[in-house]
Amino acid sequence: MHFHQILLFIIHKISGQRSENAPFYLLKGKKSGQTIQDVTYFQLHAFFSILPQLSKEDYDTAITELYKEQFIELKESTVHITDKGISAITQQKNVLLNGWQYRGKEHVFWKRLDLAVQTLSQFHANDKKFVPNQKDIDTQQFVKDYLIQHNFRQFNLSKEMKHELHLLLENPSLDDLHRTFFVYRLSGFNTIGLTWEQLARYHKLSELDAKIIFLECLHTMLDNISREASPLLYSLAKNIRIETPLTDSAFKTNSLLEKGYSLEQIADLRKLKINTIEDHVIEIVSANKSFPISTFISKEQVYEILHLSSELQTKKLTEIKNRLPEVSYFQVRLALTRSEQLHE
Amino acid sequence: MSKLNEILQKKFGHISFREGQKEIIEQIINGKDVIAILPTGMGKSLLYQLPAYMKEGTVIIVSPLLSLMQDQVEQLKILGEKRVVAINSFLPFQERELAFRHLADFKFIFTSPEMLQNEQFNRALKKLSIAYVVADEAHCISQWGFDFRPDYLRISNWLQSLNKVNVVALTATATKDVVEDIKKTLRMNNPFEFIHSLDRPAIAYEVVEVDNQQEKLSWILGRVTSTEGPGIIYTQSRKKTEVYAAFLREKGISVAYYHAKMEQSDRILIQQQFQQGHLEWICATNAFGMGIHKDNIRQIIHDHIPTSVAGYMQEVGRAARDGDQAIASLLYTSTDVEQTFYVSMQDFPEEQDIQIAFKPEYAEVEQAETTTRILKYWKERLNEQDTIQLFKQIKQKKWQDIQKFYSMIQNDICLRQQLLHYFDQPLLEKPIHCCSKCKLDVPSILGKRMKNRNDQVEMNWKKRLHTLLPL
Ligand SMILES: [Zn+2]
Repeated sequence: MHFHQILLFIIHKISGQRSENAPFYLLKGKKSGQTIQDVTYFQLHAFFSILPQLSKEDYDTAITELYKEQFIELKESTVHITDKGISAITQQKNVLLNGWQYRGKEHVFWKRLDLAVQTLSQFHANDKKFVPNQKDIDTQQFVKDYLIQHNFRQFNLSKEMKHELHLLLENPSLDDLHRTFFVYRLSGFNTIGLTWEQLARYHKLSELDAKIIFLECLHTMLDNISREASPLLYSLAKNIRIETPLTDSAFKTNSLLEKGYSLEQIADLRKLKINTIEDHVIEIVSANKSFPISTFISKEQVYEILHLSSELQTKKLTEIKNRLPEVSYFQVRLALTRSEQLHE
Repeated sequence: MSKLNEILQKKFGHISFREGQKEIIEQIINGKDVIAILPTGMGKSLLYQLPAYMKEGTVIIVSPLLSLMQDQVEQLKILGEKRVVAINSFLPFQERELAFRHLADFKFIFTSPEMLQNEQFNRALKKLSIAYVVADEAHCISQWGFDFRPDYLRISNWLQSLNKVNVVALTATATKDVVEDIKKTLRMNNPFEFIHSLDRPAIAYEVVEVDNQQEKLSWILGRVTSTEGPGIIYTQSRKKTEVYAAFLREKGISVAYYHAKMEQSDRILIQQQFQQGHLEWICATNAFGMGIHKDNIRQIIHDHIPTSVAGYMQEVGRAARDGDQAIASLLYTSTDVEQTFYVSMQDFPEEQDIQIAFKPEYAEVEQAETTTRILKYWKERLNEQDTIQLFKQIKQKKWQDIQKFYSMIQNDICLRQQLLHYFDQPLLEKPIHCCSKCKLDVPSILGKRMKNRNDQVEMNWKKRLHTLLPL
């Protein structure tokens, strides 16, 4: 999926509801209540935090191009997709990204794999004096322990690892471009990985597209690593999946909620604004379908809000809130978040 | 075989010492302070590494350049030395704590001048028995040096806080003034001085004046497509590295660009590709070259007047590490002096910056990072007027340096002789291929380019995976 396609896909979902910068924050993985709740509202888990390094400059360039092509338009400060834009969205077999699940941790896995392959390759060539491509100490320590633990001096580790990589790369959801980008980023004895620019130029793509294709491959592989079929990569992927996908701060709020504190008490205790704590609750509800919301909102209110939302064809908080003065913004957000989960 | 030669062979895999190495190493072992100036690529690291195996205690290496520190640690590890650590601000908190607790387990501790301020680190250091302290890139201590690091000056107080300890100062470039600064700051006591000639006879110098930027490009294209590399083209802007690379690639040259704005992972890959010979040319800003281990670089091309003679020598010095003939070419136009001065002044504090810095409500975020760092240091030591005066002097010195370089390349005097003279060294013997002012026959130096290697092989992921992991 190319960058423009991702933007169109997202804008299609938030069309008329959010500003033109909302996709930027989503792709960057901004940990604000608004962005995190949008992930659930609009079912955009795949794209959350996939491009933490994205510059505003590159983003604006892409958005300008979409305006120019008349794929999108700006109306009353929200971004809309045009009919032309909708027809420009190529039908995807399926979205291969899983940003919500990995939050950048996929790169930790990648670094480990890169270093493990480089080391195995060098040792196989009997050239044990090499400069590791991965410099950070955590990665080096992890891979060192990993290799020793797996008895890497016996060559079947190298063979088994190749076998597992092969299997995962053969996944029919991937195409050869994915596989090529993935394998050509790796380095080993006398074989140095290619830079984004080199990969992109060879295939006449932009660097950003090259990175996205690589990430699709990485996510798909991580999604399919299993203890049974790929035990070696499974242990290399230790602690990569986020089990409770909460930000640290929301996690603390969650623990206090579980202990029975009220929102006001938590705000007081943590010296945070009540709005922030409400953001946390939205995040918690987004992450946990079975989190009870009845302490914050009655069943009838949820029904009322959802009814109005579908009647007005909107997810804009102000529009709903204006019609229902007795509920709070927080309650509207809660109801919308929960409703999307029911539709999943 | 002497004990020294034995260690040289066993630990470092060399058969004999290079000129001066043994002498310096013996002085260190005998507990003398040492200041050694020798050109890059002349085995500088061996000087502080080898004596470590002849002395009790830990060696502390203070190094102002983080990338270099990383490289030195890696090189020692490659030699099989595991008792080595780099303690700097990039070390994650937990790793740092762990290292502090086990400091005595290390034979080599690399650290940055900034870290010397860390109390916890100092407490741990005090418990160690220190063999000697190495001040690497010691020219950075001098404010007259071309890359002055104010933090490095703090090493003076730090050394005083230790019990009497020997100091080894190493640098590849130092004028007399700088040497005096180093001695004073490091509180050196009647040190043994070893000054190797900074001349690199295997490098011939060529200067070419052209009329405009377009001519530079055509000259570069002509040279690179007709002669053999490997080589580096140094330019001053990131954009230009990319432009040059694109033009050369179109001519079938295997080339990449390199600058500091690239992702770290990509920078490492390019370095490795070049080192292993998969790339023939690199178009780079001065960010490239630190920690490059490649012996057979044949050409260095500058498309500009460098901001300092010392920086130029360092960049040029990356050629001909194998001792075979290489050539350094410098292209310039008559307006390049202003351009270079502008580049070197980009981060330099102006008078009003200094005035702002001295205001009580001054917030550090307002200025560029390097400016802030230098100003902060002097603010603690000088008053406003003296600081302004000092920076005027430094600025003037920079302008003079660039002017001096310009006149060096323009006059009719042997360039090699002038470059050495800048470092107060005589030219003892002129090599056959000296410089374009002494007459230079470029075709006899550079191999004629036979054919371009065709690097565009079909990508095949299965084959590639098999190459990586052949079993
Ligand atoms: Zn000459």
